Amino acid sequence: MREAQRAEAAATDAGLSFFEVVFEMLDAADVNAVAAYGGFPTRYPSWRFGMEYERLAKGHEWGLSKIYELVVNHDPTIAYLVRSNSLMEQKLVMAHVFGHADFFRHNAWFAPTERHMLDRFEEHARRIQEHVERHGQDRVERFLDVALSLEPLMDPHGPQRRYRAAQSRAARGGAPAGSSQVERSRASLRLVMGGAEAAPGPVAPELPTFDLLTFIAEHSELEDWERDVLGIVAAEAEYFLPQRLTKIINEGWASFWHSRLLTGGLLDPSELVEFADCHSSATQAAPGQLNPYKLGIELFRHAEHLGLDLFRLRAVHNDVSFVDEVMDEEFIQRSALFVSEQHRSGEGARIGTRDHVAVKQELLRSLAWAGQPRIELVDVAGGGSRELTLRHHHDGRDLKLDEAAQVLKTIEGLWRAPVQLITAEGDDERRLSAAGGVVQVRADEGPPSALPSKAS
Amino acid sequence: MGGQIYRIDRDRARFKEVVRGRIREDLQRYLASSELIGKRGDRVVSVPVPSVELPRFRFGSNDGGVGQGPGEVGDAADGRDGEADGGAGGAGEQEGTHILEAEVELEELASMLGEELGLPNILPRGRDELDASGGQWSGIRGQGPQSLRHFRRTFRRALVRTIAAGELDLERPVVTPIREDHLYRALKPKPRPESSAVIMHMMDVSGSMGREQKDIVRIEAFWIDTWLRSQYRNLEVVYIVHDAAAKVVDKDTFFHLRESGGTKISSAYELCLDLIKERYHPDDFNIYPFHYSDGDNWSARDTDRCVSLVRDELLPRVNQFCYGQVKSAYGSGQFKKDLDTAFPEETALVTAGVDDRSGIPRAIKAFLGQGR
Repeated sequence: MREAQRAEAAATDAGLSFFEVVFEMLDAADVNAVAAYGGFPTRYPSWRFGMEYERLAKGHEWGLSKIYELVVNHDPTIAYLVRSNSLMEQKLVMAHVFGHADFFRHNAWFAPTERHMLDRFEEHARRIQEHVERHGQDRVERFLDVALSLEPLMDPHGPQRRYRAAQSRAARGGAPAGSSQVERSRASLRLVMGGAEAAPGPVAPELPTFDLLTFIAEHSELEDWERDVLGIVAAEAEYFLPQRLTKIINEGWASFWHSRLLTGGLLDPSELVEFADCHSSATQAAPGQLNPYKLGIELFRHAEHLGLDLFRLRAVHNDVSFVDEVMDEEFIQRSALFVSEQHRSGEGARIGTRDHVAVKQELLRSLAWAGQPRIELVDVAGGGSRELTLRHHHDGRDLKLDEAAQVLKTIEGLWRAPVQLITAEGDDERRLSAAGGVVQVRADEGPPSALPSKAS
Repeated sequence: MGGQIYRIDRDRARFKEVVRGRIREDLQRYLASSELIGKRGDRVVSVPVPSVELPRFRFGSNDGGVGQGPGEVGDAADGRDGEADGGAGGAGEQEGTHILEAEVELEELASMLGEELGLPNILPRGRDELDASGGQWSGIRGQGPQSLRHFRRTFRRALVRTIAAGELDLERPVVTPIREDHLYRALKPKPRPESSAVIMHMMDVSGSMGREQKDIVRIEAFWIDTWLRSQYRNLEVVYIVHDAAAKVVDKDTFFHLRESGGTKISSAYELCLDLIKERYHPDDFNIYPFHYSDGDNWSARDTDRCVSLVRDELLPRVNQFCYGQVKSAYGSGQFKKDLDTAFPEETALVTAGVDDRSGIPRAIKAFLGQGR
């Protein structure tokens, strides 16, 4: 591991700083198994990890995945190296890892994350295992699927907002700095212990809210173990959330530094060509997608060219605000970005426009809200009906209505009362309502009609 | 890391069970869709996994996205037409852009099909049990026990070697086999006739068979192949297309060819008969001709010719003759009526009409439900 020390020294000299970084060696055959669990050794049993494994084993992923790069946001930061890689590849991955480690430590969006998640994941796995033993594998698995189906229904900015509120409270009241941690523990304890204090029924004061999953966990009539499962899924989703908000900037930062550190002295001259090959294949744009590695590194280089403070950028931004600050007309034209337009005939996407304002707008729109549709819980009906009303903040992009109908049925099953969703198709309002396991869709005040396909 | 690896085996096994369960649940849907076709290898079928993904709120089809690459406005975003050769696609959430596929054993899919439609296993035809593997000592190999040494072949090889080395003295022709010359008898596996079968798919590709009609044929053919493959160890499939004339084509052509012109069904039946006579002797093969058309034939005289071909030549040679009539906007559907009238009592001839995709399972059951 002399190379690791050299890379660490180079990173530190360049101004990066991080928690201690621990490298683990993996056999090539085990790589996908470790990655399927997000780098954590202990997770609860679920077929979805098996599916993730198959996806990794068969799919071709972006960037460094061919030589494998997996870093876990943790204190100490954990990173994996594959034994069969060449020395140059190990150096490249290590330099890349130090970039990520610096980002995890300093980026504001990672500040609220639990840095000792290893233990938490283990604890979650143990609890789920207990539920399985008590209630049977099928029941628990089915309920986990229900919970995972609602996993994205959270406010992606919520953790950050709560963290800052707690910090400013602490600053004002002079409470100990660790209070947010205590508060969060208490909150999850409440979740776990469940029913007793969070009695269902009364209309909740926290409305409207985007934190639908947590709301249901707190206010619906569930068995304790079910509430616990929802809490576990919510906590794990919250942990992974910042990574979904910072794909471009995080990969960009790590790629920027691996490139700089390697060409700045870590490379042996004989490795130069191999490095160039490896780096360029990681940062190429192939048909079908926008490569976050490529876009990220180019944005950082552009920011440097504009004279911006790169270290400030990586500290304060997520993908949306980063793109918003750095991407300008010159960049968009030089990078040949365009808005793609889906053709109704189904023959695939076409280049819609290269207008820089439109391109930037479209990119920001697709990155906003962690790339998910914004679904807000706006009302809980009183008077015993308890009907939930959700509103989809339509931004021009329609929902897949048949899938949305399935989700509504799932929510109805959990909430044990009707659920309706207000959304739109193009400019026309649509209301989907789930009651008694049946979903109906209607145009604003028109007559209800059954959804086609498997919706009803 | 050991624990992790074992755990992933468990989660993968569970994932496969989930996929299988989903296919079982949705089999009726798969039976009427072309989703699985073209996903079939020799032993496994790949099932596209989005169908097991958990439902979530997702964006629909008018989600544009930002792409990257050269090209004029209006060019294909993925650079497939001409000038644009860069990349494209949606940014942000990129889940689900690679379609994951899970593999299911063909055998298993067939057994699901059998359960779903209540298909009987195929009854033995003729002498022996269905699955007969045997062989003859007609093979040759380089190693073996002395008791199986093939003297003539061994000496012949020694002779060839001696001549090639220029060492053969015609005055004193001594040939001495050395170790490398030794050849031994070997068991040559020869599948018994009872476990071989041939399917002959014949399709009308005349002008009136549209895309949807061909898709229906394609789906039926897929499931028929899947089922018979589970019943026979060796299955060959022959594809024949016909309009006014018939020809043998490969699988790909069979499913994509678009011809137009008249329809002379007898041309296909004659070609089918020729093939049976030349290559698929009824003693060696279980023979399953399937014919699909929209029911229009050129003339009543040709239909008479078809009937006599079926009665006198084909039925005596085949396990079962199946005719599937796909409803089309232009077809009269007369041919099925003609066949039914000509063979009111014949159990080895099965006809089935398919109005649309939802009729596919019923037709498959009619074809395979007799266990012949």
